[in-house]
Amino acid sequence: MIRTLRILAITLACVAFTGMLATSIWTIAGNSDPGNLPQLLSENLDRSGVEHPVTAVLLNFRSYDTLLEIGVLVIAGIAGISMAKTASLEDPQLRTADSLLYALQRWFVPLMLVLAGYLLWAGADRPGGAFQAGAVLAATGVLLRLGGVPMEFLRPGLLLRLGLALGFTVFLLVAVASAIAGDAFLAYPPGMTKTLIVVIESVLTLSIAMVLLALFVSAPVNDAEDPEEGSSS
Amino acid sequence: MTLWLMAGLLFTPLAWAVLTLLTDFSRGRLVTWGGILVQVLVSLGLWLTVARDGGFHYGLGGWQAPLGIELRVDGLAVTFVLLTAVVASACGLHAGVYIDPDKPWHRYFWPLFWFLWSGLNVVWLGGDLFNLYVGLELISLSAVGLVALGGKANALRASLRYLLAALLGSLVYLLGVALMYGQFGTLSIAGVVSWLGVHPVPAGSGLALALMVTGLALKTALFPLHRWLPPAHGIARSPVSALLSALVVKASFYMAARLWLELGEPLGNLAAAQLVGLLGSAAVVWGSWLACRQPQLKQVVAYSSVAQIGYLFLLFPLTYSVSESVSLQAQQGITLQVISHALAKAAMFLAAGNLILSAGSNRVDALTGVSRFLPFSLFSFGLAGVSLMSLPPTGGFAAKWLLLQASLGSGQWWWILVMLIGGLLSAAYVFRIYRASFLESAGPDRFYHPARSLEVIPMILALLALGLGLASDQVLSVMALPFEEGGSP
Repeated sequence: MIRTLRILAITLACVAFTGMLATSIWTIAGNSDPGNLPQLLSENLDRSGVEHPVTAVLLNFRSYDTLLEIGVLVIAGIAGISMAKTASLEDPQLRTADSLLYALQRWFVPLMLVLAGYLLWAGADRPGGAFQAGAVLAATGVLLRLGGVPMEFLRPGLLLRLGLALGFTVFLLVAVASAIAGDAFLAYPPGMTKTLIVVIESVLTLSIAMVLLALFVSAPVNDAEDPEEGSSS
Repeated sequence: MTLWLMAGLLFTPLAWAVLTLLTDFSRGRLVTWGGILVQVLVSLGLWLTVARDGGFHYGLGGWQAPLGIELRVDGLAVTFVLLTAVVASACGLHAGVYIDPDKPWHRYFWPLFWFLWSGLNVVWLGGDLFNLYVGLELISLSAVGLVALGGKANALRASLRYLLAALLGSLVYLLGVALMYGQFGTLSIAGVVSWLGVHPVPAGSGLALALMVTGLALKTALFPLHRWLPPAHGIARSPVSALLSALVVKASFYMAARLWLELGEPLGNLAAAQLVGLLGSAAVVWGSWLACRQPQLKQVVAYSSVAQIGYLFLLFPLTYSVSESVSLQAQQGITLQVISHALAKAAMFLAAGNLILSAGSNRVDALTGVSRFLPFSLFSFGLAGVSLMSLPPTGGFAAKWLLLQASLGSGQWWWILVMLIGGLLSAAYVFRIYRASFLESAGPDRFYHPARSLEVIPMILALLALGLGLASDQVLSVMALPFEEGGSP
């Protein structure tokens, strides 16, 4: 009885909220669009160094947001590997001997690597870019891992941490270097915009893939842990 | 000069996060000391600059507001930047001694610490709705990572709960941001305000503000959305608890307050303002009551945070459709409350960590006799408690005094009752700890003596909270500096 009432109440609340949201969106859609931001964007697009508006926003106009978002990904990676205390990735139980999987891998892995490269390059003038390319690259890694490829470099060691931080570090260095050159922060020097954006996107792809893959691979947790504060040890 | 100060403020924490990620805990500590020095100097420099020349806007990437991201560097923002520098350095220095350097997972403490610090600075200076969201994410994720660091099942459970609450809060806030963008076509808060200045208020835009404030209230742990806070703050290592209670919950409150002060008058309404105030009052009473009943020391302090956060939300009713001077008093009172609670609560958690380290147990009744062994830490705990009880001359007293005047000035006398009950109950839970520590047990005492530096840091913070009441005029004068519109460095 109480359970039914609770479900009923929750359903009612959800319906009411959805209704309110829909009404609000309906009114907003009815209002004439006050913003001229898309127009402002297209006027400034040729100064941004890339032709695709999304990439221009992500890596030039609002590059500060992107820099911090990469920071968020690095944090997620750190939090993930801080909980995984696996010393070795060569657990025989993780190996598989599925011949179909091997056959699929031979087809898929090269294809996915090429696709990741294409997505990265396509970001300049059509949908694509570091995030998508990184996701595909990470998926390739997951496929390899499921197929039993050990991937030594994903052990929680210096190499992994360097990989996690690489994209973020390069982005940060560009930001600081542009300030030392005399302009504002993250203001790319004219003429080098395209080059810098391609460099940043490439290293970001690697780091994003590394973060996602590290989160997947470090999942097993062993028993070593810190005693709680004050619990007698 | 200003360029370099901004550079130091925004980018050194990020750079230090990377540097410390590449080292282990002990070397990370040395690196961190350098970073703390830089951050404190830079924050002080920026504060002095703003105190002398007034605030300014800072466009990142050379792009101005609607297209790019502009930071808003004003008196209030730099005051909080300086507060962050003080509290975070204290917690960082304490953590360097407190945390066991031999556990391999503690190497991840410093990068998370620095990311947290950078996120806080992003939020204090943010003037862009989406940029603020990114800052919140930096803070939440690194805070969750710090709570979970090396913990057992309980810590993982608490941090997962914290993560889910924080994510839900962020998503609700983001939904509000999306509605705002759809309505006003800009993400800059100043842009929205100037649009509202020349156009009539469009119908249905109150929902966006309500969603944003609700999401932020969940992240600030406003009653009845507070249930995630005590487990997370209670189970984290003490320096982490201090950071979480003193600074992290303040970041989301600061955003809610800024949104309300800029947009509350056109988009809000009286019922919503009174409702938020009512929830804040419920938090004061319920949080203090539960703090009196907790068996574990850090849970007492954590529930006290729930209560003290409640006072902050009195800002909403005390600034809605009242006279200029009353609104100013309320804002000043809340700012002092934020600062004094940050200093006092950090001191309290750090002192509680020392007491737990010494007694070897986190239970209140295990403190029996600790007054003879650790009088210094116990004294810091008490001094911080005096500020929470808002006795003169502490910062807490100055804050409550201003809030009292604002309540009387706007005729909303019912908030005075809340402050009275809250003060009495906070005295009850602080004295409860004291009572336990002065009892004597018959058996042999076993106490461990923590390092002297661990005891000095909470003492300094508690003294700062105490002294804030005496220096409140100077602090408030910098905050109230006129904002130089359109100025740039």
